Amino acid sequence: MAALLSVENLSKYFSGLAALDGVSFEIREHEIVGLIGPNGAGKTTLFSIIAGSQPPTSGTITFEGRDFTRVKPFHAVHAGIARTHQIPKPFLSMTVRENVEVGLRFGREQQSRNLEKQAMDILDLVGIASRAGTSAAALSVGDLKRLELARTLAARPRLLLCDEVCAGLTESEMQSILGLLRRIQSLGTTIIYVEHNLRAIVATCHHVIVLNFGKKLAEGPPEQMQNDPAVIESYIGKKGGA
Amino acid sequence: MTAVDFLNLLIAALLLAGTYAAMAVGMTVIYGVMKIVNLAHAGFLMLGAYFVYELHERAGLHPLLGVLLAFPAFYFLGVVVHWTLGRGVPVSDTPTLASLLLMFGLWLVLQNVGYLVWGTDDRAILTPMTFATIRFGEITIPKIGLVVFVSAIVSLAALEFVLHKTWFGRSIRALIQNRYSCRIVGIHVERTARMTFGLGIAFAGAAGGLLALLYPFSPDFGRPFLLRSFVIIVLGGLESFSGVFVGALILALVETFSILAVPSSYQPAISFSLLVVALIVLPGGVAGFASRMRSRRAG
Amino acid sequence: MSAAAQSPGAAARALRALPPLLLLGLLAALPFFDLGANQIKVLFLTFVSIGASVGWNILGGFAGQVSFGFAVFYGLGAYTTAVGINQGLSPYLTYPLAGAVAAVASLLVGLPTFRLRGPYFAIATIGVSEATRVIMTNLEFTGGASGYRITEHVPFRQGEHYYTGLILAACAVVVSIAVRQSRFGLGLRAIRDDQDAAADSGVNPYTYKLAAHALAAALTGAAGGVYARYAAFIDPEGVFGFPRSVGILLMPVIGGVNTIWGPVIGGGVYGVIEEELVARFPQIHLLLYGVLVMLIILFEPGGVVGLLQRLRRLVTRSKVA
Repeated sequence: MAALLSVENLSKYFSGLAALDGVSFEIREHEIVGLIGPNGAGKTTLFSIIAGSQPPTSGTITFEGRDFTRVKPFHAVHAGIARTHQIPKPFLSMTVRENVEVGLRFGREQQSRNLEKQAMDILDLVGIASRAGTSAAALSVGDLKRLELARTLAARPRLLLCDEVCAGLTESEMQSILGLLRRIQSLGTTIIYVEHNLRAIVATCHHVIVLNFGKKLAEGPPEQMQNDPAVIESYIGKKGGA
Repeated sequence: MTAVDFLNLLIAALLLAGTYAAMAVGMTVIYGVMKIVNLAHAGFLMLGAYFVYELHERAGLHPLLGVLLAFPAFYFLGVVVHWTLGRGVPVSDTPTLASLLLMFGLWLVLQNVGYLVWGTDDRAILTPMTFATIRFGEITIPKIGLVVFVSAIVSLAALEFVLHKTWFGRSIRALIQNRYSCRIVGIHVERTARMTFGLGIAFAGAAGGLLALLYPFSPDFGRPFLLRSFVIIVLGGLESFSGVFVGALILALVETFSILAVPSSYQPAISFSLLVVALIVLPGGVAGFASRMRSRRAG
Repeated sequence: MSAAAQSPGAAARALRALPPLLLLGLLAALPFFDLGANQIKVLFLTFVSIGASVGWNILGGFAGQVSFGFAVFYGLGAYTTAVGINQGLSPYLTYPLAGAVAAVASLLVGLPTFRLRGPYFAIATIGVSEATRVIMTNLEFTGGASGYRITEHVPFRQGEHYYTGLILAACAVVVSIAVRQSRFGLGLRAIRDDQDAAADSGVNPYTYKLAAHALAAALTGAAGGVYARYAAFIDPEGVFGFPRSVGILLMPVIGGVNTIWGPVIGGGVYGVIEEELVARFPQIHLLLYGVLVMLIILFEPGGVVGLLQRLRRLVTRSKVA
């Protein structure tokens, strides 16, 4: 299968500090790929660059065979790449439904008919249909994360970048989000999923990429990553006390 | 143009740069810490001018002493204003339109108070210094320009001292960098913000007094300087103080040397044109440009 | 959606459209009652103000990009109409022309300045206003600082001006409503709330801001044109001056920024204040506006509209209790 997304030798420097250093990988269609690494490893920066919010310092990105190294964020959305943010960014003056409507109307498919029904369907999928008429400013953190996901899904992405969508959630909330991600994937979306919870990664992902200090440390099936000494060291430290 | 003419213009530009830097610093301090774009800066510049003027006219106080007095007087005024406006001037991470409009309202009030008290006529502060010149060989320097420049540099140096050598100054610099960490470390954010606002207004008042020595003024005095302050901040980058110097220098040089190319009636449009050019060429200001250069070299 | 599901919505919408339509009818009929020439003049000036106010609000309220320099478009519109009429064009041709000129100018202004965010953009627009005023003061072709006179060989008919103003204001409100309910309006709201999140959702912030700017400028320019014909004499200080920009900005802020009727109410308030107060207390009105703005920001950022909404909530809550 040809790669949906191909990242080659991607680097990003901030005043001499390397947030990303020569990262290369490929994502195939219909995969759920986990992206793990300690804090500061460069995961959010990577998402930011792929989604077009920042340009890389060097390297290339190819999406569906086309060069996507330096795209504007809205252009990336129209082409099918959409991301959620670690800290949700809702449109506070709008209701939950209106938030989703923005994604519907401006996303990849630029919908104009049956907006209310489509929005409710997505809110149902995500689990906050009962809050459709509520102002976004009145939502709890968990619901804001769901809204963020809903709005991103409304843009009908081919590639969904999920940034720590489970952070701060209870165990049962997390399980339902993971089930949701699996359902989204079965409906045809490819997902790159940043998460700290390794159990969630193992349960959901086909493939895992490990970052640390801006470099790709390892790549492979989740079970293999669990036992990789370099990966364990990056999270926990050297064995035997150094 | 002879070398002497060139040198005269250059020196005039340098003197102007020092004054402009003092003028812009008040706005920069307030913005850096509180992310408030202080449009009322123009109003306080104007009040500073009248403050020094009144002290000179009624009490015979030497204008430079008046400027010196302006620091504590306007610091106090700034603190009172901040305390009164309270919730309208929160310390925020990004500039808000609400604070912008609030400061704008304040500016309108100050301007009108000015009109009510002093009328619409231009005033000027005239001293024996005003028309005197100093000669260094073939170079002529207006004495008042030199005096204002030295005062500006001295006050900026004092500011640098405060910022780097006092607890208050370090709190300000910390607050500019990261508001949340400040709370953890024990810096009282609201109080520091209030003192910073006072500091910014103090500099606005004192700078206004200095500018009053150079130009005639009316209650509408602040507006062209407001725009210039902003141009300086865009040129220099709103987050750094060295940027203010750089921005002030560029603006002063362009304004001074543009006399050679542009008819004087178009002069007020100069600072704005510079702003537009700067925006097209350097969207992040000079500081943004510099950091981009650094990151490119490192990669 | 079935017809049955649609009709309640349509009926509710028709009901909501009733008060404004009644108001429009009332205003249209007003000159037939015995109104003094001065009252007609005040109303006319209010209509022109509303045109500019509603226009500004499309950019400043809906899109959240506060401009302190809208006098540029008002002035350009005024001069376009003035020059056009003197060249023999029909006034009614010059009004859309004024709007078009202002819209083109807005693109020139917006291209560099929209790289700036929020307050930075606001200050840059002060400079635009100033620079344009300076240039127009020096332009010999339009009379420079001494101003420009329109010579029309038709008698002054106050009624004509009144209805032109009314149509202008009504058109502005209709445009405002259309924008608000459209996809374009939704995109503007998203930009206002969070420009980056809007871009991440597929909105193109740069072109949307430019488009809102052009629409706002066109309405303001048309208002300037309508005013110019009435005044028959315009000068750079009057139409391009900073006080004019301030006035255009004040109206939506007082009435309620980011609403449909806020700018209209604000225009009315401003028109009355200008007429009644400026004559009697010439130095006070700036003070009054400044205090008003500060009070509004501190206590009711929604302006008059926000105040009314708060009152309505209090009333309904006390009814329930």
